[in-house]
Amino acid sequence: MSAPLDDATTTHTTETTAMTLIEARNLRKTYRLSKTNRVEALRGVDVRIEAGEMVAIMGPSGSGKSTLMHLLGLLHLPDAEDGPAPEIRFGGRDLGRASDGERTRARAREMGFVFQAFNLVPVLSAQENVALAGEYAGVPGRRARRAAEEALALVGLSGRAHHLPSELSGGEQQRVAIARALVNDPAVVFADEPTGNLDSARTAEVLGLLRDLNRTRGQTFVIVTHDPDVGAACDRIIRMRDGLVVGEEVRLANAA
Amino acid sequence: MRLLRNLSRRKLRTGLTVAGITIGIWALVVFSAMAAKIDALVQGGSRYYADKVLVTDGTVAGFGMPMQLAAGDQIAAIEGAEVVVPSVSLYAEELQGGVSLGNASQVLGTPAGADQGRETFVVGLTAGRELTAADEGTDVAVIGSDVARQRGLGVGDTIRVRGRDFTVVGVMEPTLTAPDTTISVPFTTAQRLLHDGLPPIVRDQVAAAGLVSQFIVYPAPGSDPEALAREIEATVDHTNAMTGAEFDETVGASLAVFNTIVVGIGLISLVVGGLSVVNTMAMAIAERTREIGIRRAIGARRLRIVREVVTEAGLIGLIGGLTGLVLGTVVVLLANEAGRPTGTILFELTPSTAAFAVAFATVLGMAAGLVPAWTAARLDPVEALRHE
Repeated sequence: MSAPLDDATTTHTTETTAMTLIEARNLRKTYRLSKTNRVEALRGVDVRIEAGEMVAIMGPSGSGKSTLMHLLGLLHLPDAEDGPAPEIRFGGRDLGRASDGERTRARAREMGFVFQAFNLVPVLSAQENVALAGEYAGVPGRRARRAAEEALALVGLSGRAHHLPSELSGGEQQRVAIARALVNDPAVVFADEPTGNLDSARTAEVLGLLRDLNRTRGQTFVIVTHDPDVGAACDRIIRMRDGLVVGEEVRLANAA
Repeated sequence: MRLLRNLSRRKLRTGLTVAGITIGIWALVVFSAMAAKIDALVQGGSRYYADKVLVTDGTVAGFGMPMQLAAGDQIAAIEGAEVVVPSVSLYAEELQGGVSLGNASQVLGTPAGADQGRETFVVGLTAGRELTAADEGTDVAVIGSDVARQRGLGVGDTIRVRGRDFTVVGVMEPTLTAPDTTISVPFTTAQRLLHDGLPPIVRDQVAAAGLVSQFIVYPAPGSDPEALAREIEATVDHTNAMTGAEFDETVGASLAVFNTIVVGIGLISLVVGGLSVVNTMAMAIAERTREIGIRRAIGARRLRIVREVVTEAGLIGLIGGLTGLVLGTVVVLLANEAGRPTGTILFELTPSTAAFAVAFATVLGMAAGLVPAWTAARLDPVEALRHE
């Protein structure tokens, strides 16, 4: 009687730690635009991202949602002064004060990024753009190219692999960017306004793709967005205002 | 390969950068070739005059007053003068009072074997044979490489010198210096040519067989050429004796000044070319700030960015260097070809100049790319992504 119970508790605790992908605490960030002009972009934020979740970070301009994504994505470091020590636990490791090299390595191997402006390298073909992320993660050239082909197939762009970004539509370019984010099978993909430059038909297309990748592959997504439709498609919405988290909504209808 | 394709997709920027490097390297190649030619002339002279004393007529400053063959016996009697070789030299064409900047062809005659093996400045042959004592009295010639090239002559052909036809029996190998423009003929034949060229009043008073332009004196081993030269000037009337050290001081020094000017121009073009490379490279990289931001964001390490940019910059430098070398070579060849009829060969493009120019362009490109690459790699990726 007691043995199964013990097992259950053990299983339960391991599961919660394994399920939590990112746990961040005490995130503060102040940007000094000039000597006198300081912007408090984040004023103490705690955030937890579960593995397999599709989370939206929403809020008005200047609410700190992009800054939060930059910190979680290890593109910037949180402020360590003037308050309790910040922490960004990623798969158990605290990377909140890691060196540039360590953070770059984590970005290359364990994270994917999708930006509003697509941000593909203009002189590289779709396939080369995707393979580039593989190479930066240390995958040898031929394997990176094969992985790129698979990732492009996943976003339905196999036929456009050898086109330059300038030869692709906005929606197609964003799908290439998503393929690039997925090519290393990352633990999490951060997307900053991924539909911000797309019309409503393309928005629905890209959103459907993200939703599908989340459902079928369990891909974790953290999406910064203005768009209520994007928020509505996510499992959970973190709402921000003036550099603080002001609310959370869990959308049971979407949660798997 | 992929790098080349990337460059070709950035045609305008790559083209402009390559053009900038090309101009700099072109100037470098042309001026270096000029400096190399001058240097070769000086070096050749320096080597020729080393370990010997050249005795010429000292009555008139300048060139060309003949001496008497008998003076050779006076010189030979001086202690320390081991071997005395009489020599006749004159321009292949009678000059109309003008002075040629380059090396106008010279006719040279010395008795074959008279140096008794003491001459160290030996020019080999690419075809035919040397002149021998048996050639005395006949109209045969061994010609320099430039003379052969310029007039399209080989062994068996006929060359016309001062109205006389000579049969070419040998062609000398290139030396980059005086022998290239020289026509060697038997000693007595040269004496006759010299005699024929004298003003009538002088000609009637001397016999051709007694004429000499200069004496080449080889000092006894261990003796001081400088002291020998002074002794010759003191003992033999109207002589001017020059040693290798004096040549280096006078001729060498004046040519060295000219050489410094040419090299200076080359260096200035190098600096100007170099700065234009640095400028275009910095611009090219600044234009790609955003792209570098993307690469950093998706996980490119700083060193990798620097490596990629520097490799690309080096490749641009290499392409520019090769183009500049080709254009410079064309200019050098055309200029030399144009100057050949008058004997004005101003350029000598050596393999080491060519190799240096290309290597310099490559290294310059890489160096020019290094600082902006490092700056760009250190940029905050988020900041770089906002860059338009």
